[in-house]
Amino acid sequence: MKRLAAVAALLSLAAVTACSSGNTPGKSSGGSGGGGVYTTIDGLRPGIDANAPINPFNPKGNAFRGYNSMWLAWTKNHLTDPNQFYPGIAESWEIAPDQSSITLRLQPGNKWSDGKPVTAEDVKVSIGLAYTQGGTAYALDPAAAGTASDIEVIDDKTIKITQSAENPSVTFVRGVMETIIVPAHVWGSLLPADFWDKLKTARGDGAQAEAARAEITGLAEKVISFAPAKDVSAGPFTLERVNPGEALLVKNRHFHNAANVAPDQVKLLHYAGNEQIWNYLIAGRLDNAPFTAVPAEVMKRIVRTPGNEVVKGYSPVGNALAFNQSRKPYDNVHVRRALAYLIDREQVTKVASPEGGIASVTTSGMHQKAAAEWLGDAFTTLEPYKADPAKAEEELKAAGMRKEGGKWAMPDGSPWKMTIHVPAPFSDWLAGAKSVASQLGDAGIEAEVVTTADYPLYLEELAAGKYDTGFWLVALGPAPYNIYQRLYGTPNGWQLFGGKLKHVAPGKEGNWMGGPETVEVDGEKINPGELAVKLNSAPEAEQKEIIGTLAKAANQDLPVIQMWDYVNTQFVNTSRFTGFPQAESDALRLTSGVWIQLGMIKKK
Amino acid sequence: MTAPIVVAGGSRATLRRNFWSGVWRVLRRKPSRMLGVVILIGFAFMGVAGPLLYPERLPRDDDALYAPPSWEHPFGTDFEGTDVLALVVTGSRYVLTTALVTAVITVVLGTAIGLFAGFRRGRWDSALMRITDMKLTVPALPLLLVLSTVWKFESAVEMGLVLGLLGWGGVARAVRAQTLSLRERGFVEAARGLGLPTAHIVGRELLPGMAPFIAMNMLIAVTGAVYAQVGLFFLGVLPFEADNWGVMLNLSVFGGGALTSTAALPYMMAPLLAILLLTLGIVLVVDAMDEIFNPRLREE
Repeated sequence: MKRLAAVAALLSLAAVTACSSGNTPGKSSGGSGGGGVYTTIDGLRPGIDANAPINPFNPKGNAFRGYNSMWLAWTKNHLTDPNQFYPGIAESWEIAPDQSSITLRLQPGNKWSDGKPVTAEDVKVSIGLAYTQGGTAYALDPAAAGTASDIEVIDDKTIKITQSAENPSVTFVRGVMETIIVPAHVWGSLLPADFWDKLKTARGDGAQAEAARAEITGLAEKVISFAPAKDVSAGPFTLERVNPGEALLVKNRHFHNAANVAPDQVKLLHYAGNEQIWNYLIAGRLDNAPFTAVPAEVMKRIVRTPGNEVVKGYSPVGNALAFNQSRKPYDNVHVRRALAYLIDREQVTKVASPEGGIASVTTSGMHQKAAAEWLGDAFTTLEPYKADPAKAEEELKAAGMRKEGGKWAMPDGSPWKMTIHVPAPFSDWLAGAKSVASQLGDAGIEAEVVTTADYPLYLEELAAGKYDTGFWLVALGPAPYNIYQRLYGTPNGWQLFGGKLKHVAPGKEGNWMGGPETVEVDGEKINPGELAVKLNSAPEAEQKEIIGTLAKAANQDLPVIQMWDYVNTQFVNTSRFTGFPQAESDALRLTSGVWIQLGMIKKK
Repeated sequence: MTAPIVVAGGSRATLRRNFWSGVWRVLRRKPSRMLGVVILIGFAFMGVAGPLLYPERLPRDDDALYAPPSWEHPFGTDFEGTDVLALVVTGSRYVLTTALVTAVITVVLGTAIGLFAGFRRGRWDSALMRITDMKLTVPALPLLLVLSTVWKFESAVEMGLVLGLLGWGGVARAVRAQTLSLRERGFVEAARGLGLPTAHIVGRELLPGMAPFIAMNMLIAVTGAVYAQVGLFFLGVLPFEADNWGVMLNLSVFGGGALTSTAALPYMMAPLLAILLLTLGIVLVVDAMDEIFNPRLREE
């Protein structure tokens, strides 16, 4: 796994959320194209497993999002509003003003690839299957935030989903829209006949509810391992065949917008690392490659290939150096500020992610584009922490650190060696961490980079508080609630149980950042965790105010130092197809399959 | 197998003199062998004195990332603008120390176990060979990958120790086979008949006969250790050290795109060339050793 996998895996964390407004989707139209093979890769998983089932619930399953695996609607890449969608299985929707329910109307005339109509019953069964997997809108815990409490089939093409009033959340709408829809006539048998009664029981209290919850989650494995004999898809394509080198999908003639689906076939090529994608691109084989980190020289080589173009867009992810404040001297805000003044983020970005990132303007907890949108002029008033060794020295002295023989030591004179942890497979993080260590070394702070063999182990050790400092993804948007959960959520001690917030001691229950429970902003003590949770349900105006306070808190208190903000750098080839999303398009974080099904892609 | 050297009428010092003059003659016979020795001496010098030639913190040029080769930077610069040659030189100490420790442990342990098992035979032989067989069936790479999750191998000696402990099986088996063959020879029988102690029989009668095999195995273990550790660092499972050859290869390929574009190619080629040269030096010296220890080849 290389840089691509790093970001792809982490982008998928850019979880569900929401805030305002409904949507008035329009059905795409366009001239009819026809013919040709559209070649790409699936950026959501590393490589193709020919033996995996045709199952969208299986992480390795040969169901490809946007092609032969469908959501109710496709989330737009909006800077501030996570509740904007392109139509998917649903043609249109009405969201109650308080987001207490959503009524979905399915695409009229949409059929599964075997000719059977797509109905509200299919959606209901799919929701039942989603409950077995857990998930934002379908948690079995009745106290969980933003879960569905009632699913009502109004007619063949209309379904209403009501949010539990116990702990409503703005995450609900997006959670519903991102439901995977599968055919009831293929998958329905996985749910027991009394499933919906069991679900009702499970959402209650007591031993019976506990037993029902266990029974439903017990179905998870059965659902993940289910292997339909053939692909029955309501998407623009169905899986024709898959081998270790590629998956071949053919056009689904029953798809409601089939007339505007340009390619007859889609080929998804296997890859094991970024280098393979680079080579595909240089050979001009790919019509599109989703976010792929590339070194500057490789980028030049790729764009030399006729037809290849680079499209860049907003990516709500940032990279930061995070501190474990239960370890000295990182508990001292002056030390953290000194480090921020010593690190030249432009240089770090140049070394680590020249094509896939831009140096963070400052630390606000948000991607600079989202921050500018939410905060307006207030964003420019935040301390930018430009490289300034003199200020760093002042801060270190304020922290009581001592300089002996050109090297900084702890206040008691003992040596200070900063260890910066990164997962070994992420070469951009590794290069960035090395650049930070070198810069700190120049300033007399002994720093070394320590790698961990793989990412899951890295996260495990990080959560266990084994590291002093480490690279950490922040600004995972677009929902402000999710963004600030990275700084003032579980990793920093705030936990939400049954709608109640508690703060656990550093080093316990995943609190590895170990920051204080309250911080001072503009002379006033605030509890950032409490504010961050309010983002889950606050109206937009209040959200803006809270974000302003949290951005200041992050900027002054520096639980992390933001290094670079990611840029969604994609490649398209216009030799065979046209109509690709332009730079900064709100469709850039969706797969080519979604672009194709919306009728955007045309045969040249 | 040749008979062991019989001390007849000459002092040990004379024998030693004769040996070294023989070595010199063998080396001179083919210039390639001299080249091998020069290469190995060069690497030894690089490992011992190389890091002293550079400052503790290697200088960087922020504006010359992946700079092409020049007089100033014969192998260009890395992702941070550090001279690649300096990285190869300063990184050689870890690589060579690991290789040496691995080779010593492989050979000492393999020879001791093989000799003991072959000479004693019986239950000791069975027990030791079963252990050896078990060790040989354990796949080293997966084991190392698992070990690397719990052990950080921060020092070259630790790395060498692990590689050595994983690598002695083949040597033990081969030494045992040779011991079983030699112990039945007349000169060993004669030594036994003369009542010479076991230590003498093993040390003076058996071991010299196997010396060429053991010495060659030691050199080959050096190359094996270099490949193994560079491979592990390349896979990214061991701690990050910017001047480690394996880390350099990893970063040049996955971070710099050395297999796709030319910018990071010198960054990749430098550690590869170092490994290639070291292997070449060892192969050439092994060729010389073969002749030194094998009189029949010498006569030709």
